[in-house]
Amino acid sequence: MLLKLAWRNIWRNKRRSIITLAAVIFATLMAIAMRGIQLGTYALNIKSVVELFSGYLQIQEKRYRDNPSLTYSFVVDKNIKEALNSTKGVLGYAPRVYADGLISYKDNSRGAAIFGIEPEKENGVTTFIKNINAGKFFTSDSSNQIVVGDQLLKNLDAKIGDDIVILAQGFDGTLGNQKYKIVGTVKFGVQELEASLIFMGLKSAQSLLDMGSRVNVIAIKADNLNDLPEIDKSLSAKIKNPDLKVLSWTKVNPELEQSIQLDNVSGIFFLGILIVIVAFGILNTVLMSVIERFREFGVVLAIGMPQINLTYLVYLETIIITLIGLSAGNILGAGVNYYFILHPIVFGGELKQLYEIYHFLPQLKSTLEPGIFVNVSLSILIIALVSCFYPAYKVYKLEPLKGIRHT
Amino acid sequence: MEILKAENLVKVYQDNGVPVNALRGINLSVSKGEYIVIAGPSGSGKTTLLNLLGALDKPTEGKIYFEGEDITLKEKKELSKMRLHKLGFIFQAYNLIPVLTAIENIEFSMMLLGIPDNVRKEKALALMDELGIKELADKRPNEMSGGQQQRVAVARAIVNNPTLVLADEPTANLDSVTAGHLLDLMEQMNTEKNITFIFSSHDKNVIDRAKRLIILKDGTIEKK
Repeated sequence: MLLKLAWRNIWRNKRRSIITLAAVIFATLMAIAMRGIQLGTYALNIKSVVELFSGYLQIQEKRYRDNPSLTYSFVVDKNIKEALNSTKGVLGYAPRVYADGLISYKDNSRGAAIFGIEPEKENGVTTFIKNINAGKFFTSDSSNQIVVGDQLLKNLDAKIGDDIVILAQGFDGTLGNQKYKIVGTVKFGVQELEASLIFMGLKSAQSLLDMGSRVNVIAIKADNLNDLPEIDKSLSAKIKNPDLKVLSWTKVNPELEQSIQLDNVSGIFFLGILIVIVAFGILNTVLMSVIERFREFGVVLAIGMPQINLTYLVYLETIIITLIGLSAGNILGAGVNYYFILHPIVFGGELKQLYEIYHFLPQLKSTLEPGIFVNVSLSILIIALVSCFYPAYKVYKLEPLKGIRHT
Repeated sequence: MEILKAENLVKVYQDNGVPVNALRGINLSVSKGEYIVIAGPSGSGKTTLLNLLGALDKPTEGKIYFEGEDITLKEKKELSKMRLHKLGFIFQAYNLIPVLTAIENIEFSMMLLGIPDNVRKEKALALMDELGIKELADKRPNEMSGGQQQRVAVARAIVNNPTLVLADEPTANLDSVTAGHLLDLMEQMNTEKNITFIFSSHDKNVIDRAKRLIILKDGTIEKK
């Protein structure tokens, strides 16, 4: 009977109920669409950045992140290879060597960040090789060919095809130097980075740095961002060397995560404002409908209805109307998000250039991540229940006689 | 058998900070099966007295005993339970629940008592048949005349076989013919089912049918 009463009471003042419903639907739709575009674009940007260079995950010596020294390097042994090859969700991996050095051409010398890579493996893990600006990328990891940052080439006053010398401190502390040929330049849009970058073959780097077959990092490509915790867990369990650690992109590239978190907080704040506005709308309509029925409530209290049942009735009406609004809002929100998955908003002009500097794709894309629907629905349902607390409390405190006399 | 007793009832209201003495020491005893009309001019305290006897309000002073128990000492929850089990109310403005049909309005108090759906439906229909309003079963209050609504209200008040029915100006909004039919009905319930009725009214139709008339004036009983 309470359910019947609640249902009929909702439709007794159709206009008011439709306005409340519209507010809930609008808030749900807006929140889902906003969060969809926000989280969808984050995922796109993260993918774009991690696929450019860092990888979704990395295997490092456990002290390397805090102290990136050649000392904290390791050999890619059979156990590591088996672990990587047998872990579900790992699409590829690329071992690397990172070191600092000095590059000299004629009278010009510059500090350099040396990256020893295996081009073939990198092609299955990252996309930075495609950032070749002039010349070509070397294909063998043991040749004496190198690719340098576009700005570094300019700073050295060198050109493609010139020979240069690289000086670097090796694994054992001794200084090593070797001659290399510049075969190409890369451009990432960040001049600072391009003024120091040197890519060379992994074996060449290991030889220069006297590292044997040791590496500093293994960059890993995963099939999607959501599976990273599972891949991390599985890899960590399989790798027997206790000195190695699996790190996700959030640890390897904390700046990216922080900038996303910062942006996410502003999104959540805006969402909070939207939900609070809806809460006031719900409070207003529920309070109006309750005050309008004080006389009726007084009569049922006089008949002997327990006060708590009337409170349940007020909550039941709010829950029904909110659930209807949430259902419609979720369906519409899913439709909007699906549309923006198929048709992302693509930027052009200056905004496009700005996005590209940060290696983000210049577009806004949505997602159908279930968490968005669950979180938005729960937030609105909870805020609706909280906002009807005051009207419910007024009903709970209503005296039968005061209700009957209410005009 | 005495079912209700009021001792020295005093009710003082505050009207914008000014105390108003609505009742000034009422003593009253009601026995099972009585048909009482409390009459008196407007402001004499009829409705106030009825509200106190119906446990809808508490006296400023004095005691009310219902079936031997002092109800002025009872908690809100206990009073609500007592009203549900022992009392029936008929209001001047009918006060049916607008979103429920006639039969659902009658079933309402049975639903609060936890009576199963089929039992209460059967009971409500039987009573509606007895009161000649069976054809109104599926009509909502806005589809019924005042007289029909008040008949449904009577059915709602007596369906749980209450010890006492309190009717506050039940004929005030009805024409004399409809009021007459309604009073016939209540008299019949009083005679046949031995239900105790206490009316408050200044309607001559009601007063003339009183088996016991109590006249209130300025918050005191002028004549019993």
